[in-house]
Amino acid sequence: MISSALRAEPLLSRAPSAPFTRLLPFADEYFTLEARTAALQRFFDVPSGRERPGRYWRVNLDAIDIDDLQLDPENGSVEVKSSDARVRVGEPPDCLGISAAAQSKFGALAMAFAHRYAFVSIPSGIDVEDPIVITYRVGEGALFPYTCVHVERGARATIVERVEGAAAFVAGIVEVVTGEGSEARFSALQVLDDDSRFFNTLAALPGKDASLELLTADLGAELTVGEIDVSLLGEGADAQIVSLFFPSGRQHVDLRSTVDHRVGGARSQTTVRSAANERGQGRYVGNIRIAPDAQKSDASLRDDALLLSPNAHIDSVPALEIAANDVKAYHGATVGALDAEMLFYMTTRGIDREHAERMVTLGFFEPAIDRFPAHLREELRERLAVRAR
Amino acid sequence: MSVELGLSIAGLRCEVDGKEILKSIDLTVEPGRVHALMGPNGSGKTTLALALAGHPHYVVTAGSAKLDGANLLSLAPDKRAKAGLFLSFQYPAAIPGVKVANFLFAARQAVKPGSDLTPAKFRALLVERMEALGMDTSFLGRYLNDGFSGGEKKRLEMLQMAVLAPRYAILDETDSGLDIDALRHIGETIAALRSSEEGRATGLLVITHYPRILRYIQPDVVHVMLDGHIVKTGDVELANRIEREGYDIVRAESGAVA
Repeated sequence: MISSALRAEPLLSRAPSAPFTRLLPFADEYFTLEARTAALQRFFDVPSGRERPGRYWRVNLDAIDIDDLQLDPENGSVEVKSSDARVRVGEPPDCLGISAAAQSKFGALAMAFAHRYAFVSIPSGIDVEDPIVITYRVGEGALFPYTCVHVERGARATIVERVEGAAAFVAGIVEVVTGEGSEARFSALQVLDDDSRFFNTLAALPGKDASLELLTADLGAELTVGEIDVSLLGEGADAQIVSLFFPSGRQHVDLRSTVDHRVGGARSQTTVRSAANERGQGRYVGNIRIAPDAQKSDASLRDDALLLSPNAHIDSVPALEIAANDVKAYHGATVGALDAEMLFYMTTRGIDREHAERMVTLGFFEPAIDRFPAHLREELRERLAVRAR
Repeated sequence: MSVELGLSIAGLRCEVDGKEILKSIDLTVEPGRVHALMGPNGSGKTTLALALAGHPHYVVTAGSAKLDGANLLSLAPDKRAKAGLFLSFQYPAAIPGVKVANFLFAARQAVKPGSDLTPAKFRALLVERMEALGMDTSFLGRYLNDGFSGGEKKRLEMLQMAVLAPRYAILDETDSGLDIDALRHIGETIAALRSSEEGRATGLLVITHYPRILRYIQPDVVHVMLDGHIVKTGDVELANRIEREGYDIVRAESGAVA
């Protein structure tokens, strides 16, 4: 739906240039044309901050050209399913736009053209048993999904977001805001076909004494650029971030996570498992920031990567900025090949070399898979097994 | 054409990182018989075990190793297992993320592909063998050897042997690091395997530093290895003598250079 009032407003002091006129059909009740115009300007102005990692990395992320995109608000679809009638679906939560998701380059692009929305509010104090499932699908063209989930004070819920489809350019925003003492688990599963590109900005704001698990699995698309930002603003908050990805063939994955301890007494644990096969290229940048007065923070970052082919590459870049002096902080990273002694042991039991490699590779991911909701685990194993072949 | 049955090793030489460890080993384990291979640390016992299993670091430079006539040395490690060889490792690898039950099922399917073992029957077999080993079935859901105690690892090795029912099994220091109860369980498992239809004909090569395990597995033949040679072969009385007098007496008798 396009607001005619917005259309009538002067857009820019000068005549809008071609990219900006393409925003016109997207203006709606959630984001005005002005807000979208400012966002698109940010997309043009702000650098991605992502240099090309490794010599086989083929994409320049600052040269993404939107002129070629098939922009149409009718592209794709979204469906939100919840078996619990108390869950409010479809109304914008009051926290919509509260995060800094739209400040980054690709977050700004996602906001500029946002047109498929999943709005979910879990009212305070309720315990939602079954997972709430958000599914975005796209056949071809550009899709700009915007998910905003508010888990209110004391509520408990599991939310799953799936992005699937083919021949697509997808740039999305996810905002997860949780209230005091809530317990939430948000899983994001991206399984686009290999002819697609995926840019995702996930921002989370867990409340005081809240427990929040953020799980991401990027197992599709020829290019995945992911940003996970968690801001700890409430004392006693506990954020658990688990990400897995597995580029194979000619896939590229560039994932960055930032956990910002802004107040003391909060805990965060970031766990990343990745593998690359064939000519798959990956990078993970893990940032932990602890503000000067965020004493008694407890942060850990663990990143393990497995290289399964001589042409596969994964960069691992952990970065800790700690400005407080009374904190616990840990980080560890490994990048390596399959362990020869493990493989030998398995083959002495009659398991052939390739099967053993597949089992050890899947086993490597298992601790991360185990964190996902039970109904997703078998699908994750199957999708990982295809890449481990 | 008749096939000569047995795990037959003849003139086997093996080097590791360019250093010769085994210096012409001759040894034949017949079906259903128990051979003990004793010797002090560093004499080459584990090297023999790993060379027979096909570890890539252990390079066989001369000699032959046949399993019921099949040339083991030309086979990849998984093919050796399929031919009927099993090695109980002194230090089994831990494999995080691979559950014991899934691993055992994959191994059993690989080694005995023709058997129409349904998952339910397989589970029943596992439970029966685990009871014999005094193992809790919660083992099945754990990651393979990951965080296992020394005794738990050895019991899992024995469970694998019981499930895979090999024609020949090499037990490399299965007794090391075990308390008396664990040792008794292992002795009982081996006895149970040998009384089962599948395992009756299993030939065993029991490698040990101490003769203690031989109270639970009565050997038919005892060999003593020193410095990469088998220097003495006898019956169980040889093991008893070593227990009383140590390896020095054998060393002196064989004239081996200490």
